[in-house]
Amino acid sequence: MSISERTTTAPPMALSHRGILSRFGPSNRAVFPWVLMAPTLIILFAIGIYPFLYSLYIASHNVILSKPYLPRIFVGLYQYQALIQDPEFWHALRKTLLFTVQAVFIEFWLGLGLALLFQRQLAGIAFMRVFILIPMILPPLVAALIWRYMFYPGAGLMTYYVGGITKALGFGEIPFLSDPTIAFQTLVFVDVWEWTPFMFLMLSAGLASIPRQPYEAAEIDGASSWRVFWTITMPLLRPAILIAVVIRTMDAFRTYELIVIMTRGGPGNATTTMNVFLTKTGLEFFDASKAAALSLIMMMIIIVMSFVFIRVFRSKTEVAE
Amino acid sequence: MKQPTYNMESPAAPLVQRNWWVYLVLILVCLVNFVPYLWVVMTGFMDGASASSATPAWFFTPSLEAFHYLIVEKGIMKNFFNSVIVSLASTFFSVTIGMFCAYALARYDFTGRDDVSFWVLTNRMMPPVAVLIPIFVTFQTAGLLDTLAGLVLLYTAMQLPFVVWMLTGYFRDIPRRYEESAMVDGDTWFAAFRKVTLPLMMPSITATSIFVMILSWNEFAFATFLTSTQAKTMPPAIMAYSIGADIRWNVLGAAVVLITAPLILFVLLLQRQLISGLSQGVVRK
Repeated sequence: MSISERTTTAPPMALSHRGILSRFGPSNRAVFPWVLMAPTLIILFAIGIYPFLYSLYIASHNVILSKPYLPRIFVGLYQYQALIQDPEFWHALRKTLLFTVQAVFIEFWLGLGLALLFQRQLAGIAFMRVFILIPMILPPLVAALIWRYMFYPGAGLMTYYVGGITKALGFGEIPFLSDPTIAFQTLVFVDVWEWTPFMFLMLSAGLASIPRQPYEAAEIDGASSWRVFWTITMPLLRPAILIAVVIRTMDAFRTYELIVIMTRGGPGNATTTMNVFLTKTGLEFFDASKAAALSLIMMMIIIVMSFVFIRVFRSKTEVAE
Repeated sequence: MKQPTYNMESPAAPLVQRNWWVYLVLILVCLVNFVPYLWVVMTGFMDGASASSATPAWFFTPSLEAFHYLIVEKGIMKNFFNSVIVSLASTFFSVTIGMFCAYALARYDFTGRDDVSFWVLTNRMMPPVAVLIPIFVTFQTAGLLDTLAGLVLLYTAMQLPFVVWMLTGYFRDIPRRYEESAMVDGDTWFAAFRKVTLPLMMPSITATSIFVMILSWNEFAFATFLTSTQAKTMPPAIMAYSIGADIRWNVLGAAVVLITAPLILFVLLLQRQLISGLSQGVVRK
């Protein structure tokens, strides 16, 4: 939605430098932006593109980190083929998608609900906002450690209180992290706890930017608040929703600390998402080639996903406008 | 529980008596979001016995046992200062460098602008674990393993996409005729940028810096694998005391207090800038 503004006048004002350097100076509107961007692009190239190319190289060879003496044989696309035939890969992909979709879906609706509640100018609401934002401010590592403690058998608050209630009701203690299905949902819960504040913050900002007039018009027409919500709030909120959902999806897709600390992918492989699978492959089994191929596949998925998101939302927003 | 209700009235209008359930919901959310953290912080001030008791000890005599262990016996302040240096330096570099890139993307209409903009963003999409091995090998050859300089370089690169992305939106907000009139008055481009654009950008730059600083402070995956003794930052240091069979909960609590204290302080002091800055960035896109 960026309206590209064109300058009508680009006066090459007050050039104090002369000679070759000034050719790249502010007066040259074709080259100067590249001069300004150069440091960023160089650094991103060094730390972003170079490892990417290196990954491509490793993925097409056979590199085992723990056996550096082995010759690096060119294997072409073998690693990708091996991955596609590996049921563990599909398991990890399914778990990752399930985790991402569940977490982002719940976070979105809870965050939106909270943002709408905060639209009411209640006394003390600014004060409450700080408390609501706490999970998001904590380092992901700390959030994971906190909940690992909360759910720790025989030590945590959750196991004590929730476990106490379920025991009294005759269900016994809930195996928060030791039952495959429950452990997965526990991780989703913690992710929701940690990142709903982020959705809330982004959507609050979006709500704040919606103009008043459509609502005034709707009030005159006597539209119900439900109708107002779906026909005015949601369409006008779309840009903010887009950003919030894309960022959150990208981040949920590569959740790392949370899973590595709380379950290490277990029990069994119940919570082994792509990132955990990748860590195990690369840093525990030292199969660098397989890990590199895996990471490239992961990146492709993320890029395609965000591209689709942006396309879908762009087109819808344009229709709405 | 959370039905969408939109308040159309002016701030003064809402009926106070109808809002009791809103308060109820909000207080509940606040508790859910705050109590786990509060509990871990409290554990940090317990002695070993109360921290390991099976029934939660909500009332206890405060003890600095765990802090003494971490600070005096384990020397965790070294990691703390490593973290401070790395976050400050990487924030400074990424914001200074990214600012000019954002300016170019916002102000100039050159061929390939959208491509550059998208490419910069894709750099944020790579999962850190995915680039870990190549970066590890590169750092090894360059002698950057376990050095603060290496971490600063890496974090600068990691934060750049975010900085560029946020600041591009902000620069678009500032009418370019301000700069142009300064240049008409005889200033060079850089002087106009420094005297006119930069002061107008300061609130946004502050907000972005805070955000970037928090991200650098929290970074865990790279810090774990690229540092060992000299340059170890807080997250991997804390990890060492928080996992394992013989875990001491009060040490975990104290570690959490130490790593989060600067963050909480920061957010309490700069809450307004943080929220308004982030909000504007969102609305822009």
